[in-house]
Amino acid sequence: MRNSWQEKLRLFGLRSIPLVVTLVLMFLFIMPINSIEWGYLRPNVGLICVYYWTLKRGYIFSYFSAFIIGLLLDVYSSSPLGMNTFLMMLTVVVTTWLAHYFQNSSFGGGWFIFTLTALGIILLKWLMLMIYFGRLISLNEALLNYLSTALFYPLIASINVWAQKFLPQERISE
Amino acid sequence: MVRRSVLLIKTGELKVLLRRIFVALLLLCSFLFILLSKVDNPAVEEIGKTVMRLTGPIMQIVEYPARIAHRAYTYLYDISRIYIDNRELRAENRQMLILQNKVRSLEVENQLLGRLLNYIPPADANFISAKIIAESSDNFTHILFVYIGNEAVKKGQIVLGEESVIGRVDKVSGQYAKVILVTDINSKIPVVVERTRARGILSGDNKEMPSLIFTRSTADIQEGDVIVTSGVGGMFPSGLPIGFVSQIHGSDIKVETMADISRIEYVRIVDYGLSATEYDTTEGAENAQ
Repeated sequence: MRNSWQEKLRLFGLRSIPLVVTLVLMFLFIMPINSIEWGYLRPNVGLICVYYWTLKRGYIFSYFSAFIIGLLLDVYSSSPLGMNTFLMMLTVVVTTWLAHYFQNSSFGGGWFIFTLTALGIILLKWLMLMIYFGRLISLNEALLNYLSTALFYPLIASINVWAQKFLPQERISE
Repeated sequence: MVRRSVLLIKTGELKVLLRRIFVALLLLCSFLFILLSKVDNPAVEEIGKTVMRLTGPIMQIVEYPARIAHRAYTYLYDISRIYIDNRELRAENRQMLILQNKVRSLEVENQLLGRLLNYIPPADANFISAKIIAESSDNFTHILFVYIGNEAVKKGQIVLGEESVIGRVDKVSGQYAKVILVTDINSKIPVVVERTRARGILSGDNKEMPSLIFTRSTADIQEGDVIVTSGVGGMFPSGLPIGFVSQIHGSDIKVETMADISRIEYVRIVDYGLSATEYDTTEGAENAQ
């Protein structure tokens, strides 16, 4: 029974939950809202989800999922292809290391660590974009993006907490 | 039993090693993408187009309920302004009727002068209307995704919102197109100040108002001056309105776009039949000087 195709399909479905939830949230947040203010306040939903799933269920959230999310972020922006992909991969690497110490941290603790991780990632993105375009980009944009991402964390993470309930408590076998 | 344990440990180590190699490969791959994007490699362009083609239909589905909610809000907002709008429109209409008469006489005069000079007018432009289905995923970039259906749209074509330029087509993939707005950091358009014909480059910097750069220090530019395309480089025809000078602080000149980009639901993609559709705007910026 355990090796039957239904079981394999079930496991595949469970493993896909983090990626599917992230993609749905990302698409919701790039809907045209017809508001110039929203354009500036749009949080980096991909970063929040990649961080959350890597911290809480790192074994189920693959590097390849982060790669796909980064690729989508690149396509739905005018950043060079590969930049968000690289940053999402880096987020997974950093968060995997952080998870050794903070995996069982409270929601607030996770949020605090995220504010530090996000600051590093968004500042790195700002630097990389300046190097790529060879011109100065206002730091305000990076800070605004950082603030909105940090402030939206509780909302996005709560949706991920809800989605996490569909996953079994024990580790899903390979 | 011991041999089995050793084997299991070795298999575990191998898995970790393979995982690390996989991560390193993905990181390398991302970095390679960045480098290839810098040199406009067609393979990277194709990857972007494929992702657009695959995710476009999902965006269309997601966009639909948001559009309905926005229309309901706009409807209520418009009703609340109906009296003021009506008064303003009546005043505007009186002005327009005066202008209409002037335009008619100028048109006749233009035709007569054109005949005298044996002038061949440019061909009429074709355009299509396209619905906006998604916006930029972050505030570092200013782009739009539009649904073009089966219409023939090419990279480089001009995108108008209402009656003024708001950007250009960057990528076309299947039934979708990516539009780089004039406010985006990638956007550089050769322009002239309509009143004084002073040349410059309208450069996006991811802010609400793009900057007018590469203008001569002696150029006569004042707040309120209308900025139109210069036609240099062959990508944009000359004379298309973009915006007007909004702020001047020394050499820092800010231009406010005529179209309210945040309120646009549909855009017009115009084909002027220009040959230089693959024109590099950065080159154009240099050539314009």
